[in-house]
Amino acid sequence: MTAAVQETPVRTPVRRPQRRRPARVVLTVFLTVMAVGWVFPVAWAFYNSLRDYDFTSTHGYFSFGGFTLDNYVDAWTRGNFGQTFYNSMVITVPSVVITLLLASSAAYVLARYTFKFNLALLALFTAANLLPQQALLVPLFRMFLNIEVPFWFSDSGSLYDTYYAVIAVNIAFQTGFCTFVLSNYMKTIPKEMTEAALVDGAGVFRQFWQVVLPLCRPALAALATLQITWVYNDFFWAVAFMRTGDKFPVTSSLQNLRGQFFTDYNLLSAGSVIVAIPTLVIFFLLQRHLRAGLTLGATKG
Amino acid sequence: MSPRTFGAGGVSAINVGRRTLLKGMLGAGALAGLSACGGGDGGGGGGEVTLGSNWSDEVPKKAIADMVKGFSGGGVKVNTIDHNSFQENINNYLQGGPDDVFGWFAGYRMQFFAEQGLIGDISDVWSDIGGGFSDAMKQQSTGADGKQYFVPLYYYPWAIFYRKSLWQEKGYTPPTTMDDLVALSTKMKTDGLNPIAFGDSDGWPAMGTFDYLNLRINGYDFHKELMAGEKPWNSNEVKAVFDAWREILPFHQPDALGRTWQEAAQSLLNKESGMYTIGMFAGQQFPEGPDRDDLDFFTFPEIDPAIGADVVEAPIDGFMMAARPRNEDGAKELLSYLGTAKAEDAYLKSDPNNIGAHDDADKTGYNALQQKGEQLVSGAKSISQFLDRDTRPDFASTVMIPSLQEFIRNPNDVDGLTKSIEDQKKSIFGG
Repeated sequence: MTAAVQETPVRTPVRRPQRRRPARVVLTVFLTVMAVGWVFPVAWAFYNSLRDYDFTSTHGYFSFGGFTLDNYVDAWTRGNFGQTFYNSMVITVPSVVITLLLASSAAYVLARYTFKFNLALLALFTAANLLPQQALLVPLFRMFLNIEVPFWFSDSGSLYDTYYAVIAVNIAFQTGFCTFVLSNYMKTIPKEMTEAALVDGAGVFRQFWQVVLPLCRPALAALATLQITWVYNDFFWAVAFMRTGDKFPVTSSLQNLRGQFFTDYNLLSAGSVIVAIPTLVIFFLLQRHLRAGLTLGATKG
Repeated sequence: MSPRTFGAGGVSAINVGRRTLLKGMLGAGALAGLSACGGGDGGGGGGEVTLGSNWSDEVPKKAIADMVKGFSGGGVKVNTIDHNSFQENINNYLQGGPDDVFGWFAGYRMQFFAEQGLIGDISDVWSDIGGGFSDAMKQQSTGADGKQYFVPLYYYPWAIFYRKSLWQEKGYTPPTTMDDLVALSTKMKTDGLNPIAFGDSDGWPAMGTFDYLNLRINGYDFHKELMAGEKPWNSNEVKAVFDAWREILPFHQPDALGRTWQEAAQSLLNKESGMYTIGMFAGQQFPEGPDRDDLDFFTFPEIDPAIGADVVEAPIDGFMMAARPRNEDGAKELLSYLGTAKAEDAYLKSDPNNIGAHDDADKTGYNALQQKGEQLVSGAKSISQFLDRDTRPDFASTVMIPSLQEFIRNPNDVDGLTKSIEDQKKSIFGG
């Protein structure tokens, strides 16, 4: 909000015959090279996902021909994408919703109220991000294995091999980062707004739900995009805490397309394109918010 | 907004909204989890056996399904987990309550878990099926305590592969000694070919070359002891292996660390390379039809006449049983079936890239390569597995992969390399 006001005013374009300044040529060349450098691998993978493996293995990848759509059909059936997309959704949606809910609540308190351990708590949330997740694998694994639950709750009799374990771990690991970002963002919201609400008789919850949260929409959207992408891309926890192949998320489908010895890279490219689609959809849906959110914390509140 | 609506009623309305939202979300999460759990088998009653399968590739997956179909002893629920994830998470899998029966590898990789009590003793199954397997197979299925823990399904030999048509055209013949191999490689170089295809970006393909050189120079017993951590790596025997490798390294494709085995096999396919030390799965890189039929192999040549060339590296895949299966009777019944020629035939019919481990497996349906592989292995005095299967998995992946890659990068410091391997081995094997 304040950031938007402080932005340098956009210079109105003056229409006049442009002389080619050398700096501008250099810039254009540089940008073109960078853009091609970024796009090329993706385009190359996409191009080869449309080609037959036998063709590329005899003619090499720097060839033209052998076009087919079979890779996509094969990838869909062999990767069992229908099932794994569903599984990913089951993991991602609760993880992201609960993470954002918990993080925004914590961030609100940390940003708005001054108490003894306020800063220490925020530092703790931030520090937890630096913890290598792998280091906690064994204790977490043991913990889930030893938490016994009734069989109607989980057919393994413990939290191991359930979505609860994966969701809980995702929430636990993502809340710290989200709290950090959200509390910084909330600090940029003028105190006067909540004070005004307080004067009007709004309690803490009402200030949070009706004043602060709506103002945090850009930050929440940006975090939602990031979180969805991260949780969706996670493979480590899912494989660590589950043992039933049918419960695995979409990332395992890509693993499935990699063979024991032999990998059909064209098929794998096709699978990667399929897996990337939901992330792209989310990104384009929320990209306006994401761009607004990128500058959050850029100015000191 | 009039101040009136800010009364207690308004707040409670919001509270309800928040609670409903919370409940809704928790409910959605719980439902999702429950519905997924409900999809499970519900406790394994009714004589059903679960089979954990790491045969996730398309062809083997179908072959496993065909094989299980022939089992008459009750329902089998196959839980397929992709091969690489299964392998990387085997520890978690075994400790977290594995399926009753599951797929794994023979040799040390199996013995390692048997020693820790993580897999079940199936000696009584072996008394039923044992007659169908050779002694070498039984040896690979037996733990250090003399009990059986493993039912072999198939194996795939490693050898040096080449294209028949290319060799005919150039008049090459398969070498039987190291000197022949060097002479042939020199000739290939003058013919403008790259003699030996090589790619080690994944780390494991180079293990095949190391194993064969070691088996030919020092023999099978030394290989086993070395892998079990009983022999030092900085001994003259191991140094001799690296020295021999350095001799033939110039004939290998350069810059191997940036190449996958598939790319190396592709150079064989495109007749840019003359030969390639690899497993029988190399055929999958060749398009089905005339190209694949053109593939042939010979066994790794003899180096020391006293040792000979009758040890074949042929990794065996098969099945094991959980230490505490939910349905032990069913699991043993299933394993007895999996150890029959009938089951193997059903498997191999769908997956012709391997060779049946059972003596009576139907050989009439084998292609030329399978037949040759079968002869090679049945004539072998001993069968070794593979470096990463004959030793501790952590030693293979954290010590041997980087060490062999280091050797390929800089083949001249064998003393330093073998010393570093030995130091790391000591810490992993506990002195």
